Amino acid sequence: MPEANPGDALLDVRDLHAYYGASHVLQGIDFSVRRGEVVTLLGRNGAGKTTILRSVIGLVRRRTGTIRVDGAETIGLTADRIARLGLAYCPDERAIFSNLTVAENLELPPVLRPGGLSLAEIYELFPNLKERLRSGGNRLSGGEQQMLAIGRILRTGATILLLDEPTEGLAPIIIEEIGAVLDKLKQRGFTILLVEQNFAFASRYADRHYIVEDGRIVEMLNNADLLRDFDRIKKFLSV
Amino acid sequence: MHTILGVPLAFIWPQLLLGLINGAFYAMLSMGLAIIFGMLNIINFLHGAFYMLGAFCTWMALQYLGIGFWPSLVLVPLTVAVAGLVLERALIRHVYDIDPLYGLLLTFGLALVIEGVFRNFFGSAGRPYAIPAALSGATNLGFMVLPMYRAWALGISVAVCIGTWLIIERTKLGAYLRAATERPDIVLTFGINVRRLVTLTYALGVGLAALAGTLAAPIYQVSPQMGSGLLVTVFAVVVIGGMGSIGGSILAGLALGVVEGLTKVFYGAFSNTVIFVIMAMVILARPAQLFSGGTHAAAAGTGSDTGSDRVAPVLWWALAALGLAAPFAVYPFLLIKALCIALFACSFNLLVGYVGLMSFGHAAFFGMAAYVTAHLVKAWGMPPELAILAGMTVAGVLGTAFGWLAIRRQGLYFAMITLALAQTVYFFALQAKFTHGEDGIQGVPRGHLLGMIDLGNNMTMYYFVYAVFVAAFFLIYRIIHSPFGLVLKATRDNEARAVSLGYRVDRFKLMAFALSSLLAGLAGSLKALTFQLATLSDIDFQASGAVVLLTLVGGMGTVLGPVVGAFVVVAMEHYLAGLGSWVSVIQGAIFTACVLAFRRGIVGQIGVWLQRRRNLRNAAEGATMKPFVGS
Repeated sequence: MPEANPGDALLDVRDLHAYYGASHVLQGIDFSVRRGEVVTLLGRNGAGKTTILRSVIGLVRRRTGTIRVDGAETIGLTADRIARLGLAYCPDERAIFSNLTVAENLELPPVLRPGGLSLAEIYELFPNLKERLRSGGNRLSGGEQQMLAIGRILRTGATILLLDEPTEGLAPIIIEEIGAVLDKLKQRGFTILLVEQNFAFASRYADRHYIVEDGRIVEMLNNADLLRDFDRIKKFLSV
Repeated sequence: MHTILGVPLAFIWPQLLLGLINGAFYAMLSMGLAIIFGMLNIINFLHGAFYMLGAFCTWMALQYLGIGFWPSLVLVPLTVAVAGLVLERALIRHVYDIDPLYGLLLTFGLALVIEGVFRNFFGSAGRPYAIPAALSGATNLGFMVLPMYRAWALGISVAVCIGTWLIIERTKLGAYLRAATERPDIVLTFGINVRRLVTLTYALGVGLAALAGTLAAPIYQVSPQMGSGLLVTVFAVVVIGGMGSIGGSILAGLALGVVEGLTKVFYGAFSNTVIFVIMAMVILARPAQLFSGGTHAAAAGTGSDTGSDRVAPVLWWALAALGLAAPFAVYPFLLIKALCIALFACSFNLLVGYVGLMSFGHAAFFGMAAYVTAHLVKAWGMPPELAILAGMTVAGVLGTAFGWLAIRRQGLYFAMITLALAQTVYFFALQAKFTHGEDGIQGVPRGHLLGMIDLGNNMTMYYFVYAVFVAAFFLIYRIIHSPFGLVLKATRDNEARAVSLGYRVDRFKLMAFALSSLLAGLAGSLKALTFQLATLSDIDFQASGAVVLLTLVGGMGTVLGPVVGAFVVVAMEHYLAGLGSWVSVIQGAIFTACVLAFRRGIVGQIGVWLQRRRNLRNAAEGATMKPFVGS
């Protein structure tokens, strides 16, 4: 039975609504992620996947419902307070600071809780970064930016990573590398909520999947379902 | 004795030193502006006021509390920084999420209030502040006599600049600042309290300005208006150095101070304007993209074309009749004044409300036209109609030149550039012979219109101005509703879109700017004839600010807004005249309140109410109709 029992969920979202100005973007989202799980949100452009991540981390101001992190309600908190509960967010545009060097970018997020990776461990995961430490943040390739964007949130002691399309626009070989990193992070016990449009990638690295459509979650699948119902699911993802 | 270009070196060295000190002050102020802009996305018009506060608090501390220079050097910047912190928390934070131009307007209003309060209590006269005993005297270096205090002030200023640069470029706190400048949301998700960072940044910038003020107290006279003039120069420095880099601000500030100091030696009359001329050259030479730190394309116009645009014809006729009858009820002179100001505001509104270009230098056109008309009538005996045309022409030419420069930048930069360019015109008016400096041109005869109609009578003058006003107003109305006006509005709402539709947006902007300056000139010429006077107060940047104020009060981007605003403000000035100089404080306060709570202005707000009533009525009709339509 794939449905997670909310009781042992590390991240539990119930009846989440979110608004941008006049538009009602999320219309009652329910899902949960257990400790140590890798879960994806699948769906086409504009379905609301990114808004879900931004609501969870607290960047969408107008949101209602319930978002519990390890039992603690966060719906009324600002993003900086939510981050202190052990959440970290990696946006799809990566948001590398161009005014800062790679080293400054990497060391910018303060360590909020124990248990984060050391710099040495991050360099082990992303050997490329070590060679670029003194470069400006705006001088990185897309793959390097993605590695930096993931790498910098691993030091902070966050246990729940919200990753928005880490494979977007990257070469297959780089995607491969990112996937390997996800596996290692999972082994280390990180809980990961992943937004993806890359179906193959999602099925390879994640445990469960939620399909997002028009601001609602329409289905939850495990990997076996995903492969079996491949053709049916595909229509949710392609235009 | 050594000379350069015939000037003895002994004269050059002291000016160079003073130039460096000024440059260091420019650097401290523009650095503060730059970091505040980075974090708050606001051009802090209060910066000059904080500089003045720094100097004044130093003076007051000695005068009233017996606190000397050395304790003040630490206490005053801290105190003023706390004041800045309170202002930021209480007022300024409310405008972060709206168009950054409102931040400029809000801080402008607050600066008016602070300056006004100090002028009321201390008058405009400068007050000397003694150089601290430990630094009095001078050392003879052989080639020049070095005043100890100045050398020390320069050293401290440069050290503070370098220290600030190090904090921002080399420390963790600085990294947070730089990161939050780019993506405050992401920094927030790192668990950092960005709001606190913003407040601290503001306090830091304010503290730097106040420190510059404290250091300046023994060098310059301490006076309430010492900050506002300096601020306009600092704006030019910021436009030249760009707001993206702290290092750039420091270097630009120092270099421009030196250039200014040396200009004073070789060609004194030019020293006030040289920085603005350099600014103009930089704008021409550097494409806008090179300026990092976000030039906002966002328009100032509230875009509320509601209500007033669809005024019923009967209202127009009623207003016209009111205009004809008014001088029998109200003192005509007051009405003429209000009409001149209203026309000035309409010309400004054409630009800000319908093209989204916030000109902070419109007084240059108004004032220059006033001078030209006054001079031609008085010295050359020109008939009034020709003198008015000449004034308009000069304003139009000036406006075309300014527009040609300024439209290369957008949003806040546009506002700062127009302000700086207008300042050059102000200095021209201050120094040129025919304007008679501080005295202005007085006793201008009104003459006979077309050689027949004697304008000496206020009643006759009123109907003349009224006719011109109605014609100009109708012209503006037609412009706004013509295809040309539609392109302007499209540019205001979405410039990129207008460009992609094939419109040569810059040409439209330039034409609008030229038209606007022409009409501002018309208003200035009429005003000069009415008052029989043209003075510096027509052309200084307070006049530019005043027109922004009354347009905002009336309603930017509404046809009638500027007119209503002008009448309200002129009436207020007239009936509150008993309060003396407190009027400017009250105006500043109203301005501040408008920006914070009442951004649509009077006419805009009425438009919204009418719209709401109409919607309610429609909704009510819709509800009664439902049974028929439904099921």
